[in-house]
Amino acid sequence: MAKAIKNIHKLSLSEEEKRSNDLREVEDALIENKAAILQTLEIMNHMQDKGLLALLNGLFGQGDKVLNIAVKAIDKPENTNTLKNLLLLLGTLGIINVKQLEPFLLKINAGIARVADYKDTEEKTSYFDLVRSLKDPEINKAITILMQFLKGMGQDTEPYEKTTQDTPEKRVNQTKDKTLE
Amino acid sequence: MSEFTIKINGSETKATKDQTILNLLTDSPEQVPHVCYHPSLGPIETCDTCIVKVNGEFVRACSTTLKDGDEIDTNSDEVKEAQVIGMDRILFNHELYCTVCDYNNGGCEVHNTVKEMKINHQSIPFDHKPYEKDNSNPFYRYDPDQCILCGRCVEACQDVQVTETLSIDWERDRPRVIWDKDVPINESSCVSCGHCSTVCPCNAMMEKGMEGEAGYMTGINRETLRPMIEITKSVETGYGSILAISDMEAAMREQKIKKTKTVCTYCGVGCSFDVWTKGRKILKVDPQIEAPANGISTCIKGKFGWDFVNSEERLTKPLIRDGDSFREASWDEAYNLIASKFTEIKEQYGSQALTFISSSKCTNEESYLMQKLARGVIGTNNIDNCSRYCQTPATMGLFRTVGHGGDSGTIKDIEKSELVIVIGSNTSESHPVLATRVKRSHKLHNQKLIVADLRKHEMADRADMFIQPRAGSDLVWLSAVTKYILDQGWADYDFLQKHVNGLDTFNENLEKFTLDYAEKATGLSQDTLIQLAETISQSKSVCVLWAMGVTQHMGGSDTSTAISNMLLVTGNYGRPGVGSYPLRGHNNVQGASDFGSMPDRLPSYERVADVKVRSKYEQAWGVKIPEEPGLNNHEMVQGIHDGNVKAMYLKGEDMGIVDSNINHVHAAYKKLDFFVVQDLFLTRTAQFADVVLPASPSLEKEGTFTNTERRIQRLYQVMEPLGDSKPDWEIIRDIANRLGAGWDYTHPSDIMAEAAQLAPLFAGVSYERLEGYKSLQWPVAEDGTDTPILFTDGFPFEDKKARLYPVDWTEPKEFGEEYDIHVNNGRLLEHFHEGNMTYQSKGITSKTPNTFLEVSHELAKERGLKDGTLVRLSSPYGSVKVQCLITDRVKGKEVYLPMNDSGEAAINLLTSSYSDKDTDTPAYKETSAKLEILKEEGVNPLPKTNFRYGNPQPQVGVGVEKKWARKDYIFPGDVVEKEREQHG
Repeated sequence: MAKAIKNIHKLSLSEEEKRSNDLREVEDALIENKAAILQTLEIMNHMQDKGLLALLNGLFGQGDKVLNIAVKAIDKPENTNTLKNLLLLLGTLGIINVKQLEPFLLKINAGIARVADYKDTEEKTSYFDLVRSLKDPEINKAITILMQFLKGMGQDTEPYEKTTQDTPEKRVNQTKDKTLE
Repeated sequence: MSEFTIKINGSETKATKDQTILNLLTDSPEQVPHVCYHPSLGPIETCDTCIVKVNGEFVRACSTTLKDGDEIDTNSDEVKEAQVIGMDRILFNHELYCTVCDYNNGGCEVHNTVKEMKINHQSIPFDHKPYEKDNSNPFYRYDPDQCILCGRCVEACQDVQVTETLSIDWERDRPRVIWDKDVPINESSCVSCGHCSTVCPCNAMMEKGMEGEAGYMTGINRETLRPMIEITKSVETGYGSILAISDMEAAMREQKIKKTKTVCTYCGVGCSFDVWTKGRKILKVDPQIEAPANGISTCIKGKFGWDFVNSEERLTKPLIRDGDSFREASWDEAYNLIASKFTEIKEQYGSQALTFISSSKCTNEESYLMQKLARGVIGTNNIDNCSRYCQTPATMGLFRTVGHGGDSGTIKDIEKSELVIVIGSNTSESHPVLATRVKRSHKLHNQKLIVADLRKHEMADRADMFIQPRAGSDLVWLSAVTKYILDQGWADYDFLQKHVNGLDTFNENLEKFTLDYAEKATGLSQDTLIQLAETISQSKSVCVLWAMGVTQHMGGSDTSTAISNMLLVTGNYGRPGVGSYPLRGHNNVQGASDFGSMPDRLPSYERVADVKVRSKYEQAWGVKIPEEPGLNNHEMVQGIHDGNVKAMYLKGEDMGIVDSNINHVHAAYKKLDFFVVQDLFLTRTAQFADVVLPASPSLEKEGTFTNTERRIQRLYQVMEPLGDSKPDWEIIRDIANRLGAGWDYTHPSDIMAEAAQLAPLFAGVSYERLEGYKSLQWPVAEDGTDTPILFTDGFPFEDKKARLYPVDWTEPKEFGEEYDIHVNNGRLLEHFHEGNMTYQSKGITSKTPNTFLEVSHELAKERGLKDGTLVRLSSPYGSVKVQCLITDRVKGKEVYLPMNDSGEAAINLLTSSYSDKDTDTPAYKETSAKLEILKEEGVNPLPKTNFRYGNPQPQVGVGVEKKWARKDYIFPGDVVEKEREQHG
């Protein structure tokens, strides 16, 4: 004669049993991950030495507040501009072809070295000197390079710009030229 | 299909008639961008990003079909310019803060299209809309500020789900999505089916489970989030870099969010979808286009009703009865006790004293194991399952006439049928997703709909013809209509001659079903009957859908037979778009019986009485199987009362609530010597048990379910079993092994492999063939060929011919004159059955906290009932206490008591032990009672936030013409052309 019942006596472990179960679980985990844990401890020691742990503790402990302050600080025109410039510069760095730039930079370097020697010279250059110096192979080469450079500078690079608002037509060009990839 | 040649950007390619440009281009390298188009919704034409030129004209690729010789331009400057204008307008409505957006999971279509079109900046800056977020619904929220007004949600609500709640108000200065006539979501007719959040291409319409959970940085406080979005926007050097970072973040999310395919555990439609989880937390249910039964569709339960999995009330340890309470015990102790008690009872009283009840919520593999335990280990055929409570009569009707006990075709066949007849089925609440297909075909594709029911439910509301025959008289009108069709010479004689036996005897038996007789018995006019006969015989394809309103009567099997007879006479079997569809109630009602949890049938419906069949199993299992069929559920209860049955092992079924006449059932439980119940919760039934075993629900295990279409689908494990609970198959295996069975199944696929070898219907079923969203519809041949449509090669009888099976009317049970109220009963959309699982959802419970009694205006007036009046209904078997809700869904002295209560309002306190004469399925629907008022004034039992109070606004689609008619709208193609003209 079994009537309907609802009471349940939970299988209650004593504090002692619970503790030993939990300990056992932790112990197992420690043994299974021995190498990783030992190395982690080493890293943590270093962090402790450098005061990093305390810093992180503060950061995580007050996570929401810290983030809020940080975000508010960044959200000011001058700071967002810094970020923007950084991102732009990063982008620009990406398009410079260092391989091509290297010989040019070497030449500039040589030029600077020479200028450094001559920095306080009293010597003057007349028009005649200028024309005559074109015959100097070194100067002639430098002028030729500079002329090419000026030519390149005059080219239209507008489609490659990231900072200006674009018009539908420009987007069409970007899309076709795949300049965004 | 006629093929022709067209040119895309100058190169020739083949196209077919009725193919759209977008369709053609999805398979070609020349892709066009698109945002509002969705394969399951079709062209919506709101986003204007897929613009191309055809023969020099700007058109939308999504909605333009191809013609012979068309020249298409997808990449000229003008075309690109027009597309960009479309996208610009979208970005005016949507702020890109992807990295801190919960929708940034790789699938955001706004994000992806911006990337694809390589848009770097927007020419019209984003502008906030003057509306607040709507957080009122418990399951999803709408953020107008992020809404791009693509109208996918409206299309899904209006034309896929067809609840017709959502629309876009194009008249406002800043249009937005509105609910009903612009009320908060939670006060609208929204049924929380989740279609809108499923199809939304961005984060405007989003599941609340996702909020603050999906991303690494999305859980940040609101006041910090806003400045962060501002920073991201002000430092942006173009969308390119922002999108790159957010793509990285999206990739990182894959690490913490798990997406697992599962099959829904609620009704028999068999929806499958991905479940997104973070540990045990369910972020969202994400339906997939390729899901065979449901595609992108879900209902409130499948999309949002999973809280029960993590409920505090889940059982996590075996319980053993100890005096006046249960105590938690170890599995070992529970198993030992079960093994010793089963053995003891078997030795003392014989195998027949033990009974087994399998569950239609469990997997096919678990059903197979349960019957194997009963037959192969204990040695009894006393095994049954809960389809005994619902659809066994339908199976019987189909066995008699066409030979296979399952739906004739697929949900797609119902969808494309010319005429759908729904008998005794509240389809839009009991099989919500299947109902959407009928509602859609009816709304958009001229499908005719006939509904026969007592209640004026949603399907009845939509029907072309709604008939209300007297309760339990369906067999009469079906037979009269069939007779009239034959008499008029409207039958499909060709079909009858080639494919059907027994017309003469059938005709003779029909003699009595004259129109005159039917009119008197059913209350339907002769005109109505003739109209029915005309409509049915004139339709080229007919599907009949039926459910408990047919089967839960004393003549349930006979009425099911009459339906099948009518379909045979009109030739509606064995081809696409026709047939009989007994809608299966639980996720695996079909499979539970398919895999042998029946007292007289082994898996594949092979008869226990057949010596050849028995010897096949005896050889495979190495045991002797008793030849006498066993007891069904109903007989088991009687057997306990008679003292022959001493023990019961029941899993996954709250039989003490869902069986009829539960006072009688409870009394039986009390007499059992030993009772084992296996469930998720301490259900009403489990409270009577000696041992309660904690089982795992579908999300915590693997296996297969078979839906109403006979479709076998795999479910994958979403999360680990809670606590010490275990999947049912493991528990059954362990118990069998304690009894010395020596079973070595290590995975459900082992069980399926064994079943496939033995059961002919599943010969070709294997886990490999069911991988992911793949499915098989039985019968499945050894080579893996399945059968979406039955009977295309004849019927499974020796001469391949179906049989007309004469049936007579069994008049419904009357309880006596004093019981003057007819108590109809059944399901509600939002609760499943008694509610053990769905009441665990706070959201569902907030909208529907309890059951209620639907009372007609006439009865309310006569008895002085109001919303909230507490009444007592009493039948000869018991009584319930419940609050009234006055509604026009019921009429006269018919009331409706939904079954979602396991306390004082449980319907089965009223029902009797009368049952279908052929299958013993309880005659739940033949219940009457007397009504008395206990307390006149009370609070309305149905909160105002329930969708039943809503005010739907039907329209077709999103009404894009209204957008185009706005003064500020110019077609991007025209903008481009104008500019070109100006610039020469």
